[in-house]
Amino acid sequence: MQSTIEGGPAFAYINIDLDPGETVIGESDAMSSMAADLDMEAKFNGGFFAGLAKAFLGGESLFVNHFTNNTSSTRRVTLVQSTPGNTRAVELNGQQLCLQPGAYIASTPGVQLGVQWAGFKSWFAREGLFKLTVTGTGTVWYGAYGGLLEKEVHGEYIVDTSHLVAYEPQMKLNIQLAGGLFSSLFGGEGFVTRVEGKGKIVVQTRSMSGLADWINPRLW
Amino acid sequence: MQITINRNGENYGPYSLEQVREMLDSGQAQPTDMGHVEGESEWVPLSEISKNLPEAGEKPPVIGSQDSDTYTPTGEHEHEFRIECKPDFSYLTVQVPANQTLKVEASAMATMSTNMVMKTKMKGGLSRFLGGESLFINEFSAQGGSAEIGIAPGSPGDMDHVHLSGADEIFLQSSAYVASGMQVNVDSKWQGFKGFFSGEGLFLLRCTGHGDLWFNTYGAMIEIPVDGNYVVDTSHVVAFTGGLQYNVESVGGLKSLFLSGEGLVCRFAGQGKVWIQTRHPMAFANWTYPFRPESNN
Amino acid sequence: MQINITHRPGNSAAKVSLEAGESITAEGGAMIAMSGHMQVETTTHKKDQGSILGAIKRLVTGESLFLNHFTPSGGPGEVYFGTALSGDMMEYNLNGPGIMVQGGSYVASSPSVDMDIQWQGFGKALFSGESMFLIRLSGQGPVILNSFGAVYPIQVNGEYIVDTGHIVAFEETLNYEVSKAGKSWLSSILGGEGLVCKFHGQGTVWCQSHNAGSFGASLGPNLKPR
Repeated sequence: MQSTIEGGPAFAYINIDLDPGETVIGESDAMSSMAADLDMEAKFNGGFFAGLAKAFLGGESLFVNHFTNNTSSTRRVTLVQSTPGNTRAVELNGQQLCLQPGAYIASTPGVQLGVQWAGFKSWFAREGLFKLTVTGTGTVWYGAYGGLLEKEVHGEYIVDTSHLVAYEPQMKLNIQLAGGLFSSLFGGEGFVTRVEGKGKIVVQTRSMSGLADWINPRLW
Repeated sequence: MQITINRNGENYGPYSLEQVREMLDSGQAQPTDMGHVEGESEWVPLSEISKNLPEAGEKPPVIGSQDSDTYTPTGEHEHEFRIECKPDFSYLTVQVPANQTLKVEASAMATMSTNMVMKTKMKGGLSRFLGGESLFINEFSAQGGSAEIGIAPGSPGDMDHVHLSGADEIFLQSSAYVASGMQVNVDSKWQGFKGFFSGEGLFLLRCTGHGDLWFNTYGAMIEIPVDGNYVVDTSHVVAFTGGLQYNVESVGGLKSLFLSGEGLVCRFAGQGKVWIQTRHPMAFANWTYPFRPESNN
Repeated sequence: MQINITHRPGNSAAKVSLEAGESITAEGGAMIAMSGHMQVETTTHKKDQGSILGAIKRLVTGESLFLNHFTPSGGPGEVYFGTALSGDMMEYNLNGPGIMVQGGSYVASSPSVDMDIQWQGFGKALFSGESMFLIRLSGQGPVILNSFGAVYPIQVNGEYIVDTGHIVAFEETLNYEVSKAGKSWLSSILGGEGLVCKFHGQGTVWCQSHNAGSFGASLGPNLKPR
């Protein structure tokens, strides 16, 4: 399998060239174009109950698409996230990565998707109660609205909850108010995430909620 | 992160990682001095601790497109900063020195050090607020040490920086304001440009004083040096320098020509600079209509 | 005529430089800025041809009712075009086979290019959610198209599938049919792909990486109710 990410960072899309017999899994509605003789099959996102958990709690669709090359030569499928922005590929070799719900785009069959409880405190933050975890061996593609910036955290750091895309599992997350009560309400920041530990986080430089907050006052 | 330094049996600090690095650079601390990071169990040489600070400019390997368009200031500037992810999703990171404050547009903070403290102020006064126009500005102060803040406006687009030096004057469209230093005066009650924008809740800010000013555009940014005469659709005007003469007029029957459909243009004359944005928020607002949830009544 | 497309693919704008007497035709409302001496004629039809019927047909495709014809007088001039939604722009030079363009993707073209609206028939477009009309551009000269997302070409040599929301334009030498994405209808609907366009023959399809409908659906829940 060969893959490249083009069109970034504004409109990143993934070109995946599947060798005969290979499969790639994509989230619902991620396919932009594909060779006509590739087989596409919708499957429950990893088992019935796990699928339901992921859908309602993790923000992903109940179904994923399996694209399989049952021909005898290489075939291409082009996958993309629903929003403009950048996309990254991560090679997993047993380690785990935590993703914000909705950030997942595609993965190779050796990668397992799981849903974990992110804690009660998340509920106030407009983001999901759960986080998506990916583990196993293979490649996972994820992305977000905006550009993606990686940051090393040494100790602790504060991230606006709608701007956190991915983080290493050893990091601890806590929710706190951005400032005092007045500031948090009128300052537009509300609740923020305090990231503790040593590791990498990925931040998105725009957010859907930020975009909505910007355009809503102009809507009649 | 809090680090205590031990030298000759005496404990000093605690200091932040940035402070330790500065002390190592200036020779105040030695790499062989022992340091203790709060929360860790062991004392390690300072050389080990400072090794974990990523070198400026070094980026970990990434598979995928790089958000590589980074701008760092070369001209006059008060704060250390960088603008990344230009030109589509520009993101500003500012270093605020210890005990100093930075003004930032409300809800634009995306990341910050834990020793940054936030306070909220409302600009524009009550009459503006009631008129549907408002500009909330937060003040972020670095307590006990220098701190960093990452700023992301809500709309996609580019960002620019201007350094004001006392005599300078910049007029800025209110929704384009991103951040400024404390000595920059942001006057939101300026009535001199009534009718500049056709009632979208936008108004012009008059910025004077001394220090850094950052603003963003919706869409791509085009800087136009004016030397004589220039005409721009007012919905595309982001900022302009104080020396220019301006005149707002309606183009009436020709309004269907313009992307904004507003028909209001501004004629600039004289010498100065105008920043324009290539896109127009109302078009996006119109596009969202079919996707909006229906209110239930 | 010189066409210069900047800020690709995120917030593209097209700068068209014209010699005195040269003309460019653009959909109504695409202009951001222009030289002071540019003459503009607004009509509902192609320059030097009359027919309001063409204009009505254009409305149906999602384009504006009006066309603007820009001609600089007394010297060369320039005009900048932009689009309502962010995205990419591409320039294509027609010289032989015509191209079929998705409604809403047309920005501008030289007056030597013919524009016609074509009904695709019920079978082709039903349920696809896209316009049942395509714009056919033929003749000689440059055209400017816009897209939501980055534009990428696919050289079709046999068969290729493109999700219906991702088509910008295609050469008219290609045949196409609207069909289900997966092996079964269940797969197609559950997998979120629904209907796709299967192209047959030889020719180029220009695709857009992203889909405005999916973006709108993601943003929708955060928006003020109407």
